[in-house]
Amino acid sequence: MSNELIAVGGALITAALLARLGRRIGFPTIPLFMLAGVVFGPHTPGLDLVEDPGDLGLLATLGLILLLFHLGLEFNISGLTSGGRKLLGTGALYLALNMTGGLLFALALGWGVAEAFVIAGAVGISSSAIVTKLVTELRRLANPETRVILGIIVVEDLFLAVYLAALQPLLGDADSLVSAIGEFAVALGFLVVLAVIARWGATAVGRLVPTDDDELLTVSFVGLAVLVAGIASELGVSDAIGAFMIGLIVAETAAAERISRLVLPLRDTFAAVFFFAFGLSIDPADLGSVTAVVAGAVVLTLILNVVAGLITARWYKFSRVAALNISFTTLGRGELSLILASLAIAAGLDERIAPLIGAYVLILAVVGPLLSSRSTAIAKRIPQRAP
Amino acid sequence: MGETARRARLSPAEVTEQSMPGIGRRFDLPLGDDQSIVTVIHHSGRRDLYVLAAGHEEPAATASLSDAQARTLSAILGGAYFKPSVVEEIESVVGGLLIDWVTVSEDSRGAGQSIADLEIRRHTGMTVAAIVRDDDAILAPEPTEVLRAEDRLVVLGRPDDLIRFRRHVIDP
Repeated sequence: MSNELIAVGGALITAALLARLGRRIGFPTIPLFMLAGVVFGPHTPGLDLVEDPGDLGLLATLGLILLLFHLGLEFNISGLTSGGRKLLGTGALYLALNMTGGLLFALALGWGVAEAFVIAGAVGISSSAIVTKLVTELRRLANPETRVILGIIVVEDLFLAVYLAALQPLLGDADSLVSAIGEFAVALGFLVVLAVIARWGATAVGRLVPTDDDELLTVSFVGLAVLVAGIASELGVSDAIGAFMIGLIVAETAAAERISRLVLPLRDTFAAVFFFAFGLSIDPADLGSVTAVVAGAVVLTLILNVVAGLITARWYKFSRVAALNISFTTLGRGELSLILASLAIAAGLDERIAPLIGAYVLILAVVGPLLSSRSTAIAKRIPQRAP
Repeated sequence: MGETARRARLSPAEVTEQSMPGIGRRFDLPLGDDQSIVTVIHHSGRRDLYVLAAGHEEPAATASLSDAQARTLSAILGGAYFKPSVVEEIESVVGGLLIDWVTVSEDSRGAGQSIADLEIRRHTGMTVAAIVRDDDAILAPEPTEVLRAEDRLVVLGRPDDLIRFRRHVIDP
């Protein structure tokens, strides 16, 4: 027991210390939490806080569940519909470009089909946490393109839920097409049931719990999130989708905003354990074998994001600077990529996915803010032909 | 003066509100002259202010405030600490209830008379909620309280009754 306590406490402290150092140079926290796991894990020389990543297993899973529960809770359907079809189209363009690029890239390099789909998702979906933080820090909340950026993020968040369901047969243990389709049907059915509850049953869910007491509210809804995630997992749907969907349902209740506020510190704590635990699974010795792939993926994402940004700016009649703001701000990859990678590892896919996605997220965490804060200067250097 | 102020007063329709997914809500207040102030209220309670000028890509000024700082600033802007005399008579209406500050002058009808003598509530429908006199506040004054010149009265009532109140108590 004492070992596990030291592991958890050490993980949180080292993650926080590293992230604190990084904050001074504008580095997002999520990749640094993960880096702490790499540095203080069993694969690197020096201090090993955690010998067995399994020590953090349950807490890391709680982190994953709370991350997705909160994502569902914060999900804002009106933000999606108020922007209209144009915003949906922009989000779709982003996803289509980045994911198709990622998929073809991974397949071309000879990764398996399941791995390629995981990589496509990991390089295709931006991190809501990093992007929203970046636009806030760069003081761009009033810029017209920020609305589009946030719209893209919302579309991507929603897409992730569907994508997790679609990946289920690939990540599951289906050995034939029929059973794969069966698993997909179960996953989809579960989503539909939850979606129906979200649409018509939210008030009933809200009534189950007294909403005037913070303590009871927290205990009840964290319990609900974990329970639904567990049931989802039992049914062969991933715990991640279950947590996201119950988040969507709770978001429709009157107490949604308070629950979101109450769950936030819990989410931050356990999500840090999750990112640290993911770092533990990365063996830097494996990095050598994926260096070229990581570099290729970063360059690919950069190019596709700039292309998507330029097209979007043209649709909205934005300036060149705004176009690059969109391109560079949405470069941030974080929790969603790491969630996909950890699910892939848990499902026993190619283990090189962990160092690949880990290094990719880390590099974009540096490159994204760096480019984004200099988009005005960069825009001036681009030859001015008609956008 | 009072009438101009009322017309110039901001109607809520001039403020536009937008939700910012993952961040909070955004409020735009146009200032005229192609300027506007954007306030972003984060879920965390943080407030960001942006001063925008048309034709400029970068905001002219930005500021970031904590919840407590934002409340202090709003109190300052609202005139809680210092009210310039020109705008003294701008009233605020909350949910159909009007709250206003009026100052009794030496030649006001009500100067030197008590609230009961003036029968303020019967004649005007308004209630004197407080009297600010020499930096002291008399909350919920007794009917026997005599109004003096330089008293600042905090009055409550329906917006339409304010004119009657002025005519009955403040005007010469």
